Amino acid sequence: MIGFDAILNSFAAALHYESIAIILGGVLLGYIVGVIPGLNRAVAIAIAIPLTFYMSAYAAIAFLIGLSKGTAAGSAVSAILLNTPGEPSSAATCLDGYPMASSGKPRKALKVGLLASVIGDLLATLLLIAVAIPFASVALKFGPYELAAILIFALVFIAGMAGGSFLKGLAAGGMGVILGTVGLDPETGAMRLTFGYAELMEGVPILPLVIGTLALAEMFVQLDEYRRNKDASVIKLGKNADDDLSYQEFKGTLPTILKSTGVGAFVGALPGLGPSVGAFMAYGLAKRSAKDPDSFGKGNPNGIAAAEASDNAVIPASYIPLFGLGIPGSVSAALLVGAFMIHGIQVGPLMLRDHPEMLFTLFSGMIVASLLMLAVGWYGLRLFARVTSVPPHIVISVVIFLCLAGIQVQGYGTFGLVTVFVFAIFGYFLKKFDYSFVTFLVAFIVTPMLEMNLRQSVILSGGEFSILLERPIALAFVVFTVLMVLHLGWTSYRRWMQARYKAKQV
Amino acid sequence: MIRKNFWSGLGVAALAVILLTWIIPTYGGSGFAFGMQPQRLATLGAWLILGCSIVLTVVSAIALKRRGESIVAIPDLGHLWHQAWPFLYVLGFIVLIDRFPLTWVAPLLIGGLLLLLGERRWYVVVLTAAVPTAGLYGLTAHLMRIGVV
Repeated sequence: MIGFDAILNSFAAALHYESIAIILGGVLLGYIVGVIPGLNRAVAIAIAIPLTFYMSAYAAIAFLIGLSKGTAAGSAVSAILLNTPGEPSSAATCLDGYPMASSGKPRKALKVGLLASVIGDLLATLLLIAVAIPFASVALKFGPYELAAILIFALVFIAGMAGGSFLKGLAAGGMGVILGTVGLDPETGAMRLTFGYAELMEGVPILPLVIGTLALAEMFVQLDEYRRNKDASVIKLGKNADDDLSYQEFKGTLPTILKSTGVGAFVGALPGLGPSVGAFMAYGLAKRSAKDPDSFGKGNPNGIAAAEASDNAVIPASYIPLFGLGIPGSVSAALLVGAFMIHGIQVGPLMLRDHPEMLFTLFSGMIVASLLMLAVGWYGLRLFARVTSVPPHIVISVVIFLCLAGIQVQGYGTFGLVTVFVFAIFGYFLKKFDYSFVTFLVAFIVTPMLEMNLRQSVILSGGEFSILLERPIALAFVVFTVLMVLHLGWTSYRRWMQARYKAKQV
Repeated sequence: MIRKNFWSGLGVAALAVILLTWIIPTYGGSGFAFGMQPQRLATLGAWLILGCSIVLTVVSAIALKRRGESIVAIPDLGHLWHQAWPFLYVLGFIVLIDRFPLTWVAPLLIGGLLLLLGERRWYVVVLTAAVPTAGLYGLTAHLMRIGVV
């Protein structure tokens, strides 16, 4: 049972001025990144990780969590003012946000989006705190059989749910597994897939991998798209009194915000689904349950509230499997695992045993981040509206420089630069051919843990698979995995048959 | 998209075959192990890739055939060059960074890219190139002072 003193101490640590300054820095940077179209959360975290190298573990993670939350809220600004979502998950916000802003109410639209974001984020953070600790307490009792079965299930689930083709998702997962095995074998000490490079003995360095596949590859994709849409017009914020959000108007959106937070938290807790699914699901639900569904898509504030509350609720909820089981369910969660690894902390249920004070302080820091998000968004509204006008070619040039500088400052040298370039090509092809990046990254991150648990299971069982019958939880997850594969295979087959049928009719 | 799936499936299948027949057996590690062999998980991953990519290739080939579309479509060379030049640009600067300090190369990297992307306002080019470079210089100087670098 968690003592009252521990909670009080964690809040005291999170409310220390240094901690507030770091979280504020993260939220502010995240907000700016979120506002700029083309820069997304994953890119922001990937290029910010090098900045956190010299911080303490808590400061680094708090900064990155603040950044992650800030991008989710900030992306609504460009969706509303520019009709271009800063993040793919804010595409649902464009549907009502841009029409509302075009009709002379940009400030109102931004404030509805901000309040929905903050409430969604705050409630989902409280849910995370309430659920993750009991979850982790149960998970601590799991043995290698259970953990191996859960990890395999999570990988298959993410491959199936991350969008796109299930086959491509599994193939991307396989690539992640192979790269995850690079380095010294933990049992025999044999060098695996290092090709004689001493730099690979501890595995593929995570920083060049994430900067290459996420940030640099994304910039190459942006460069490709840059020539197609160079022109976009921004809606300016006026000083019209009618454009202010009244309490009554806000109250009208509250039921939608609460419902959408529930949808977002549910979607976020399931690994692989991501905020885009949550935002569109919540938007659809709000539209179906509205008295005036026809007003959706024409500037209904409930449309903005639904999309933003759900989008922001997904982020904290996606940390439930991370802190509860050690399974990163999203790209940003996987990047956080990387940041934890850099600081020598194993994220997951073991944190509850080994670093409980840090876990509680992080949770308190998350609540502080939610509140700072409100202050930053509310008072920085006009400033962020101006940031949307930053031309994409400036952003692309600076981000490419930051990618290379991040590697160089960390002392990875030529090997790091070549690695980042190779992974940029790899990431570019993953994006262009629509292979699930989240499955690849999660597989890469969890492979060492999966291998260790599989290895222990094989040794303990002596090769006897019948031992699974004595382990009901492990057996249940093996059965779930098989059912999941069958279900996803069947769904893909049906979709293929439907496409064939349609093609025949045409 | 179907043609893309076909070719990407074929490419990934070829990669998996190379992994299974050459890279993993040669460089995957060896040695006595009580539990799993060092190569086991990588081999399983490669089989998974191979299985999925073969199914993807076959399904895409069937779909292409049914639609009566050709498997081969020669890409436009201009489009190909447009996709390739950023990679060559960054690779060129990686070679430069290997020989000169990044703080020297950075203004050229940023400014050159801005000019290539059509920016002609000199003050925008100068400021965009100078501000991040100054930031990097400041960070490096700070890290050297505290003894990290």
